[in-house]
Amino acid sequence: MWPRFFRLHKSPTQGNFPEKALRFLLERGFTYKAVETYLARKSNGQKSYQEVAASGILTELRQAYRRERPVIYTTAFVPTELVYGLGAVPFLPEVWSGFAASLGVAPRAIHISESLGYSQDLCSFHRCGLGLFGMGILPNPSAVIVSSHLCDGGRRSLYYHSRVAGCPLYVLDVPYSFDREARVFLARQIEHVAQDLVRKVPGLSLDHMRRAIEASNGARRVYLDVCRVRRNVPSPWRGSEALNYVSVFLSSWGSGWLPEFYGELLRYLERTVRTCAFPVGNERHRLLWLNLRPYYRTPIFDFLEKQFSTSIAFEEYSKLYWPEIDPDNWAEGLAEKMMSNFGWGPLERRIHAVWSMVEDYSIDGVVQFNQWGCRQSNGGARPLRDFLQKRGIPFLELDGDGVDAGNSGSAQAITRLSAFLEMLDSRGVIA
Amino acid sequence: MTVAVGVDSGSTTTKVVVLVNGKVACTTSAVTGPDPAKTASLCIDKALSECGHTFREISCLVATGYGRERVSGATRILTEITCHARGAHAMVPAARTIIDIGGQDSKVIRLDERGFVQDFIMNDKCAAGTGRFLEVMAARLQVGLDEFGEEWGRARGSVKISSTCTVFAESEIISLISAGVKRPEVIKGLCNAIAGRVASMARRVGIEPAVVFTGGVSLNEGVRRALEDALSQKIVVPPMSQFMGAYGAALFAQDLVE
Repeated sequence: MWPRFFRLHKSPTQGNFPEKALRFLLERGFTYKAVETYLARKSNGQKSYQEVAASGILTELRQAYRRERPVIYTTAFVPTELVYGLGAVPFLPEVWSGFAASLGVAPRAIHISESLGYSQDLCSFHRCGLGLFGMGILPNPSAVIVSSHLCDGGRRSLYYHSRVAGCPLYVLDVPYSFDREARVFLARQIEHVAQDLVRKVPGLSLDHMRRAIEASNGARRVYLDVCRVRRNVPSPWRGSEALNYVSVFLSSWGSGWLPEFYGELLRYLERTVRTCAFPVGNERHRLLWLNLRPYYRTPIFDFLEKQFSTSIAFEEYSKLYWPEIDPDNWAEGLAEKMMSNFGWGPLERRIHAVWSMVEDYSIDGVVQFNQWGCRQSNGGARPLRDFLQKRGIPFLELDGDGVDAGNSGSAQAITRLSAFLEMLDSRGVIA
Repeated sequence: MTVAVGVDSGSTTTKVVVLVNGKVACTTSAVTGPDPAKTASLCIDKALSECGHTFREISCLVATGYGRERVSGATRILTEITCHARGAHAMVPAARTIIDIGGQDSKVIRLDERGFVQDFIMNDKCAAGTGRFLEVMAARLQVGLDEFGEEWGRARGSVKISSTCTVFAESEIISLISAGVKRPEVIKGLCNAIAGRVASMARRVGIEPAVVFTGGVSLNEGVRRALEDALSQKIVVPPMSQFMGAYGAALFAQDLVE
C-alpha cells in the first residue's frame, strides 16, 4: 500500500521548467567549476573562512548531485560523523530549507508541501524540505537516518523522503536517561545502522570512520578557541552571520574541511579583536539568541546591529556540548554526543546550558525565536523565562517563522525587539 | 514655557497629547487611515491650535505606535510599550500591570515600583482580543460599542464563543442568533471571549495589582467587567485611558526638554 501511495504523490511539480533547468545545472560538473572560479576571484570580497565553507559545501554538492558519493539524508541532531565515516555525503533537508528561504524559493516549496497533504501546522523547515524534494531539486538519497530525540517533525517528514526514494530508513532511538547502559544501548544501534548501510548501499564502507572522527575532534579543538574569542566584549563576529553558520555547525562535523574552516574563522576573529574592527560599533547590549533565525530577507538584524548597536553575542545552536570522541570506540562516542545534547533530557539541562552561555558571553538579555511549529524549543520557554528573570536577565519570546515569510511580520518583530531593548536601556539608567 | 508633544500613531487611531509647562493642555485623536504621516501632522496641528500654540513652539516631540517612524519632527521614537508604561505609571503610581487593548493588538505590561517595564507580551496575530473584533461583532449585532456595558448588565447568562478567528466567530454568532440566543447573552459571551484571551496573556507575564486598563477598548464597560471577572481583580480605568501611549510619549518629551 505504501509504495502505491507514494507513487501517486511523487514529485507533483516534476516537469516545471525552472526546476528541471536547476536540476540539470546541479548535475553538471561545469556548474561547480564556474562557481569555484567565481569564488576564487579575490575581488568578490569573501573572507577566508567563507571561502573554505563555500568550497567544502560546493564539493559535497557536486559529489551528491553527480552521484560521486552516496547521499544520506539526516535530521539535524544525527551526528554527521557517522555519515562521513561511511564515505557518504550528509544532506539535511531542513538546512537546505534555510538556503531556499534566503534564495526566495521557500514560498513555492511550502505550497508544494501543502499540496502533498502536509499541514500548515508542521514546522516550515520540514514543510519546505518536503516541497523542495517534491520539486525534484534535492539529490537522491541512498538512505535516511533520523533520531528520536528533539525534533519530532523532522523524523516524521523524512519518512516521506525515504519512501518516495525507495531507500532504507533508520531511526536511532535515543534514551531519555543519561547513563552507561543508555549509551551502550544507543551505540549498538549506531553500529547496527552503520553495518547494515555498508551491506545495503554500494560505495559505503567503515574505512573512513577513523578519519571522520579525527577530523571532528580536530575541528572541535579549534572551535573551542573560536568560542573563547567570541567571549570578547565587544563581540568580534556579527551575530546575524554567526546564525547563518549554524548550518555548518549542524551538518559538517566529520568533514575534512571543517577544521580548516574553524581555523580560518579563529584567525579572522583574533585579527578583529587585535585591530578593534568590531562589526557592531559602540556595542550597547549583548544578546543570546535561542533557536534558529529567519533566513529570508528581514530588516530585524540590521535594526539590532545598526540602529540599536546591539550584538547577538552567541547562539544556542552554536554551543558545543559533547566531549572528544574516541576513534577506537566511535559508536559509543557518537552515542554520547547525541545524548549530550542539552536540549534532550530534563528541561534543567537546557536551562543550565543557557545560563552558562549567559555567563560566558556576558549576556544582557536572551531572545528565543519561537519558530512556528517547533515544540522542542517553544515548549520549555516558561521555565526558562522564570529562571532567567529570577537572575535579572530579561527574556523575550519572539514569535516568527524562519522559512515562511508569510507567517511572520517584521514590523511586529521590530516593535517587540525595540521594546525589549528599551527595557534593557532603562535597566542601564537604573544601574 | 515648554511645549512637549506626544504622538501615538496607532494602527487604527492617531492620538496626540500636548503638555504645556508639564501640564496636559490638550488631547486630540483621528482615524489613522492610509497616510499615518499626514494624519499625525494634522492631529498635531489641531491639538496645538486648540491650546493656542503653533508647530514652531514645540520644545520636543516624541512619537510612538506602529506608525512612529513616519511622524515628522520627532525628536525621539519609542515603542508603545515603553510609552504606555510611562503614562499609566504617571497616572496611577500604584500600577504594576497594564492591560492595553487597542484597535488591532493587545498587550500586557508588567512594571516595577519605579514604573520601569519588567516584562511584556503582545498579541497582534489574532484579531480576537482587539478592538477590531468588537467592532465587527457590534456591526453584526447592530449595537453600538458604547451599549456593551448596558447589554452586559441585562444578560441572564452567557454563551461560549469558541472561535478565536474573527471570521469564524462572526459565523458562530450568526448561528447563536439563529438558535434564538438573546443579544445580551451573546454580547456577554463576546466580552468573555476577549477577556479570557487577554487574561491568559496577563497570567503569562504575571498579574500584580494595581491592574490598569488602557487603549480604546478600556472605554468598553462590558469588556472591563468581563476582565474583572476573568482576573478576579479590580481593574482601574484611568482618565485619558485611550490616550495613555501619547501621554507617556509627551512625558518623555517633557523629560527631554528638562
